[in-house]
Amino acid sequence: MTMLSSVAERLYWMARYLERAENTARLTSAYTHMILDLPRGAELGWQLLVDIFDADPVFRKHYRAFNEQNVLRFLIADMNNFSSINYAIKAARENVRTTRDVLPEETWEHVNELHIHCKDVAEKSIGRRHRYEFLEQIISRCQMINGLLMTTLCRDHPHRFIKLGHLLERADMTTRIIDVGAGAILGRENNNPAADTLLWSSMLQSMSAISAYRKKIGPIVEPDSAVNFIFKENTLPRTVTYCLNGILEELEPLKNNETAREIAESALRKLNRFDAQKMTFEQMHHFIDQFQLYIGDLDESITNTWFLPMPTTSSE
Amino acid sequence: MNNRWKDYDSSSFFDELLTSNGNPRMAARGIVKFLKDLSEDELDERRAAAELAIRDMGISFTVYTEGGNIDRNWPFDIIPRAITAKEWSRVSTGLKQRSRALNCFIDDVYNKQKILAAGIVPADVVLESTNYKPQCKGVSPRYGAWAHICGSDLVRNKDGKFYVLEDNLRVPSGVSYMLENRELTKRVLPELFENYSILPVDDYPSQLYKTLASLSPQLKRKPCIAVLTPGIYNSAYFEHAFLAQSMGAELVEGSDLFTDDDDCVYMRTVDGPVKMDVIYRRIDEDFIDPEAFRADSMLGVPGIMRAWKAGNLAIANAPGSGVADDKVIYAFVPDMIRYYLKEEPIMESVKTYLCMIDKDREYVLANLDKLVVKPANESGGYGMMVGPHATPEKRQEFAELIEKNPRNYIAQPTLSLSTAPTYIDHSVEGRHLDLRPFILQGKDVWVTPGGLTRVAMVKGSLVVNSSQGGGSKDTWIVESNK
Repeated sequence: MTMLSSVAERLYWMARYLERAENTARLTSAYTHMILDLPRGAELGWQLLVDIFDADPVFRKHYRAFNEQNVLRFLIADMNNFSSINYAIKAARENVRTTRDVLPEETWEHVNELHIHCKDVAEKSIGRRHRYEFLEQIISRCQMINGLLMTTLCRDHPHRFIKLGHLLERADMTTRIIDVGAGAILGRENNNPAADTLLWSSMLQSMSAISAYRKKIGPIVEPDSAVNFIFKENTLPRTVTYCLNGILEELEPLKNNETAREIAESALRKLNRFDAQKMTFEQMHHFIDQFQLYIGDLDESITNTWFLPMPTTSSE
Repeated sequence: MNNRWKDYDSSSFFDELLTSNGNPRMAARGIVKFLKDLSEDELDERRAAAELAIRDMGISFTVYTEGGNIDRNWPFDIIPRAITAKEWSRVSTGLKQRSRALNCFIDDVYNKQKILAAGIVPADVVLESTNYKPQCKGVSPRYGAWAHICGSDLVRNKDGKFYVLEDNLRVPSGVSYMLENRELTKRVLPELFENYSILPVDDYPSQLYKTLASLSPQLKRKPCIAVLTPGIYNSAYFEHAFLAQSMGAELVEGSDLFTDDDDCVYMRTVDGPVKMDVIYRRIDEDFIDPEAFRADSMLGVPGIMRAWKAGNLAIANAPGSGVADDKVIYAFVPDMIRYYLKEEPIMESVKTYLCMIDKDREYVLANLDKLVVKPANESGGYGMMVGPHATPEKRQEFAELIEKNPRNYIAQPTLSLSTAPTYIDHSVEGRHLDLRPFILQGKDVWVTPGGLTRVAMVKGSLVVNSSQGGGSKDTWIVESNK
């Protein structure tokens, strides 16, 4: 059974937006948690959260100061921000709306409810009082939808494109987190190991990876090993290596997969040679910049190969 | 037994459930008895249950309406309408006969034009109609079938007979309401089904599939069938998605398809182009192919007409079918039946005065207070005038319109539409209704058992269109169990 390109594209984006909403919620939750623990003068501001999404220009268009209220509004409720939870959920819903026939029946109901919930309470959940509860809700509802999909969908095209969307979005987000985490430490003049530990712990936390880290590496979170872990630990579903391996697996049965596979494979090879311990933060930043290009290329290749109007002999 | 029905008037009009002296008709006995035994509270409860179910099922409706053009919940009346299987069998035979003749006519008009040459239908009426599409000349779809899906509007007059009011041959909709209405009644009044033998309606999607599959230009493999929708903002999108899903067909928009140099239409898929065999279009023909019709259409597929004409693709309904969906042509359908089938028409049609004919026009202008005047080619009840209910100014306005453009107007006697008991507020009152059965024609002809009953929810109103405040009822074809 084949599948319309337009449907594949919508499923891919549904997955990306759902993953994005969950990731934004995870990151926001972990970060606000950390800020509460931070000693005064640690100089880790709210701007860092905006930087993670490369959203500086959009932010500045609508806000002046990078204070808690503004940044949290931007990340939770602002429809001008394509990575905000509110926007991502709405976009996911738009994509489910026209693909209901290939998804398990309850999917639409859940996504629609999530959207209504988000629309109703996002604005009220910016302040510290309701924020945590809201973010937890988003995370667990997204997980419920993913669980529904993963436990009921046939393992054919729809599942494949949904999975590609999830994995690519997650790989993208994880690299962003590392980049900004590294940048934050790099940017500060006086070294503050206590804050570093807190920062990296919260990054691991945002990926539900802190206990795995403790078991595999040890109880003390150090920047270098945390970076290596988040990049390369191939048993943990939110690491970059894991995501890339998963992408390769999903690409395998697709026709015309050569370009996309090549990109994923060279990204993996590059990752295998990576070692945070042997790098300065500048080098790491450079590496991540390049690595982000792979992710962009991969997305482009998936789009060109399977979603875009097929080249035909006639002039269209 | 309670008094709720005491004042029910079943004598002013033909009533679907009760005879003129207030006794239940044969097919309705069980329904009437059951409803009379229910207390007001119980009846309210059932209605509340129906409303809840509509909301649950209607999630799909509300969300598509954010663009703003469809009713959120359609008014559904819980009291079903019943017709005996015996009576239906006659109607069904009559509809098949009519559909065969209409298809012969369309095929003839685009090919030999025998009926025009014979002077049975005036040539200029056909050839100058905006519904006549010269782009379709010389095409012969398989089985001579053009209008594969037809929705005919029937009304029952004072004499108790069904009349065909019009034949919708372009993109008739509403069949999903017919299916939903039965779902609702099963949920809300399940007890009623115990003592009744009611013909099921849920066979429609498989019959539609069979009809479409029989049109496939190739017989080697399972045909590739798609429902072509204008998209999510179309008011019938839900129905398009529903039909595609229940047939296991693809739901496509114009941008999902392209026509290649081999004059075949392909669907863009993740495995590469897939050749299409049959397209069930829910887009008006003027929009299906910017190469052949409106060049500004964004909804269509450039070149799809080429593929159709080359015989590489079947389109249902075939482009051009609308030529027989015209209120002037309507007047000639009985003659078509006699001409093509050498049979006498089984279904009654309404006496129609054509304003283009001098004698008819004179009569119409002299009797505007008694007649219903309709434009020849609007649908949805727009632009018409019901003489007895119209103001003198309105009648004057229509007199001028008719003088100015006689070809565009027809007039018919005002029918006395039948009523059926309808639960309004807390009482049962009579409301006027019609019936839209769907006729499928491919290799075989098939008629839905019953169809969609539309009710004018406003007291005394004759307008049943959902776009103008109409509601609907479940329609039962009841087999006698004795």
